[in-house]
Amino acid sequence: MERRLDIGLVSPLESLRGPARFVTPSTLLLAALWLAPPAVAADLLGGKTTLLPIWERDHWYAFGAVTLIVAEALFIVWLLLRRAARSQARLVLEERLRFEALLSELSAGLIHIPATEIDVALERALQQVVAFLGVDRARLDEYVEEGQGVRISWHPRGLDAPPTVMDADQFPWTAEKLRRGDVVRFSRTEELPEEAAIDRAGYERVGTRSYVSLPLSASGPMLGVLCFGSVRSERAWPDALVERLRLLSQAFASALERKGMEFSLADRLRFEKLLSGLTATFSDLSIADFDREVQRGLHRIVEFLGIDRGSLIEFFRDGRTARSWTIEEWMDVDEFPWMTAQLKRGDIVSFSELEDLPDEAAVDRQSYLAHRVKPSVAVPLLVGGTVVGGLVFSAVGAERAKSDELMQRLHLLGEVFANALSRKQVELEAQRLRQHLAHISRVSAMGELTASMAHELNQPLTAILSNAQAAQRLLAANGVNLDEIREILSDIVADDKRAADVISRLRVLLKKGDLEQVVLDLNEVVSEVARLVRSDAIIRNVSMTLDLAAELPRVRGDRVQLQQVVLNLVLNGLEAMREPGVGDRALVVRTAPDGADAVRVEVQDSGTGIDEKDAGRIFEPLYTTKLEGLGMGLAIVRTIVDAHGGGLGIANNVGGGATVYFTLPVATER
Amino acid sequence: MTPVVFIVDDDAGVRKSLARLLGSAGYAVEAFASAREFLAREPHAGPCCLLLDVRMPGLTGLDLQETLVAAGRRMSIVFVSGHVDVPMSVKAMKGGAIDLLTKPFDDKDLLGAIERAMAKDVQALGAEAHVAEVRERVQTLTPRETEVFALVVTGMLNKQIAAKLGIGEKTVKVHRARAMEKMQAGSVAELVRLADRAGVIVPKS
Repeated sequence: MERRLDIGLVSPLESLRGPARFVTPSTLLLAALWLAPPAVAADLLGGKTTLLPIWERDHWYAFGAVTLIVAEALFIVWLLLRRAARSQARLVLEERLRFEALLSELSAGLIHIPATEIDVALERALQQVVAFLGVDRARLDEYVEEGQGVRISWHPRGLDAPPTVMDADQFPWTAEKLRRGDVVRFSRTEELPEEAAIDRAGYERVGTRSYVSLPLSASGPMLGVLCFGSVRSERAWPDALVERLRLLSQAFASALERKGMEFSLADRLRFEKLLSGLTATFSDLSIADFDREVQRGLHRIVEFLGIDRGSLIEFFRDGRTARSWTIEEWMDVDEFPWMTAQLKRGDIVSFSELEDLPDEAAVDRQSYLAHRVKPSVAVPLLVGGTVVGGLVFSAVGAERAKSDELMQRLHLLGEVFANALSRKQVELEAQRLRQHLAHISRVSAMGELTASMAHELNQPLTAILSNAQAAQRLLAANGVNLDEIREILSDIVADDKRAADVISRLRVLLKKGDLEQVVLDLNEVVSEVARLVRSDAIIRNVSMTLDLAAELPRVRGDRVQLQQVVLNLVLNGLEAMREPGVGDRALVVRTAPDGADAVRVEVQDSGTGIDEKDAGRIFEPLYTTKLEGLGMGLAIVRTIVDAHGGGLGIANNVGGGATVYFTLPVATER
Repeated sequence: MTPVVFIVDDDAGVRKSLARLLGSAGYAVEAFASAREFLAREPHAGPCCLLLDVRMPGLTGLDLQETLVAAGRRMSIVFVSGHVDVPMSVKAMKGGAIDLLTKPFDDKDLLGAIERAMAKDVQALGAEAHVAEVRERVQTLTPRETEVFALVVTGMLNKQIAAKLGIGEKTVKVHRARAMEKMQAGSVAELVRLADRAGVIVPKS
């Protein structure tokens, strides 16, 4: 306004400069007077005595002159007014041209920058526009679905930031108009209609005197609002200006739209990456790594979604118990009975406010309150129609709208976790069966060993009984030799320990324990098994020798399972020499390093050897060449050796019989 | 002479405890860790018995029994075993074992079995001595008397013997009387029993 006022003052003065530029009737008259004969001139200008006769003679001159002067003055005024109007029009045109130049510069600038810099560019552009228009404050609001768009506002020091007019509580009329795509403008708040009373009060409260607001929309729904306000003075918003602001708003809107599209594309790509990463991780996951990977997966998801907490719940098959993995320790299933029940039924649980929860969820509500959780969404994990678990995500602070896209993503993530859980359960079941089978196999091996175990145990028992009874007899006799009694007692103690040792070895063999991976010496394992089968070898009339490597590298594995492997191989070797035709029955158990990073255990027998046709199938389950065999011994050996990352083989010896061997990788330092 | 119990058991603890127990019962004891060790020892002349473990590496108890029987050695055997099955006990008993004890066993059972084994051995020892005496008597017979003796115990009549040997019936009678006298037999039946014990083999002619 000031600028305009200034323009209005300057232009008339300017037009009075340089009179030579104009030739008007009054200047012509002055020139005529100056050129008239001296008498006439004297008459006219100074002769008082001759004034009347002159007046009477030349009075028409005077009239003519006055008329001329008046006409000339009118003409000059008209000229001046026309001049001012033309100048004004030129200035308006110039300003419009400058604004359009600014507009095209801003639009071009917004097109060529990457999406991540659009917010900064918009802010800079807004500042330029503000400077150009000379308004007091401006604001650009972006609306996005999750409610977290940019809010750029510009206002001079000492003034509050402009209000958000899309706040339907404070500015219902404005918000409604903008939502319809209309421009809202007023030079004075009094211009606002009756129905905008609330809005008027709002504007007056924040000190806005003149205001224009334009919706931002490119091709689709409204993306935001662009507002300019005047606080210090009232000002008009002519149609031409509004039209140009509309152009500006379109440029801003398309930048916002481009940003939104690029962001959503990038977001979608990131989600795809997250999903495929998780799928890859869980598709090839050992039980041992499961907990860690679930934690990591939850962390990645929570980070991606920009929320605070996530947990995976697993429902066990018995339908009663459950366990959960969480980040930000909070998800104890017992604390959320209602949610758990919903999930078990296969229902989604989703709420933005705790008040949304039904009455029966009172316990859950208390837990959410205790954990300061506001909105939460939980999706059931289904595998083949069975609920195997649930995936729960919650935010602590901000409320978040639940969008269809979010739910779709949670379902996709849920599928990944559902498959992971089901795969884990299958794997655990397989492991359990394997252990059970190994146990059965050990028990059946025990059956085979019963005779020799009885023998093994009977020796110390016999010795103990005989020693004790010898002592009784010695005590009954006269002249007790205490030294001898002492010796007998110490022998009894030693034999008792021997018996206990046999029992404990039996117990180890029969133990049905969980896998326990330790670093161990295979020489020890072989020796333990050798002690166990020593009697059996005697009964079978087999000479068993151990050929153990000194300085054997250690391996990592389950002691009981590896004992099982050696035991099965040794029993297999003993069995191979059962045929009556076999001459010298000899069994050699040998340990040796196998290259730099493996250890080899061989069981060599002097039996009948193996047929070529059996060699390929000998480690298959239920394949047996024995009359009474189950065909499980070597299959179990293979399962265990495989699980330990080792290899297995069999070959006939040059001098008769066969050698079965297995290798295990040397334990690496961890 | 103190009766000797030989122990053969591969388990040192068992060996030692059994030796102690039998020693406390007044027996002389000799213990061996294997059947071969025992076989290396020369046969004992006096009363003795063998306490033998069935299951041992190398030569088993049953193998040792077989070897002793085949060698015709007098030996009362008491078997002991941690685990006894039917074929094993049948084989042991057929081989003339006195008893087969299952480990662990009570001292009364063991000492009872050893006592019976010793009694049988003493008996066998007496029988052995008698046979030796009868054999000595046979040695005093002349060749002709031996011939006649061998035929008499087969139940032949004097006339048949005379015909068989191509000598007179009277001569047969004389030889027969001399043989009976030398063999200290009161009757033909007694002579037959002695011949049986001495293992007189009827010469083929």
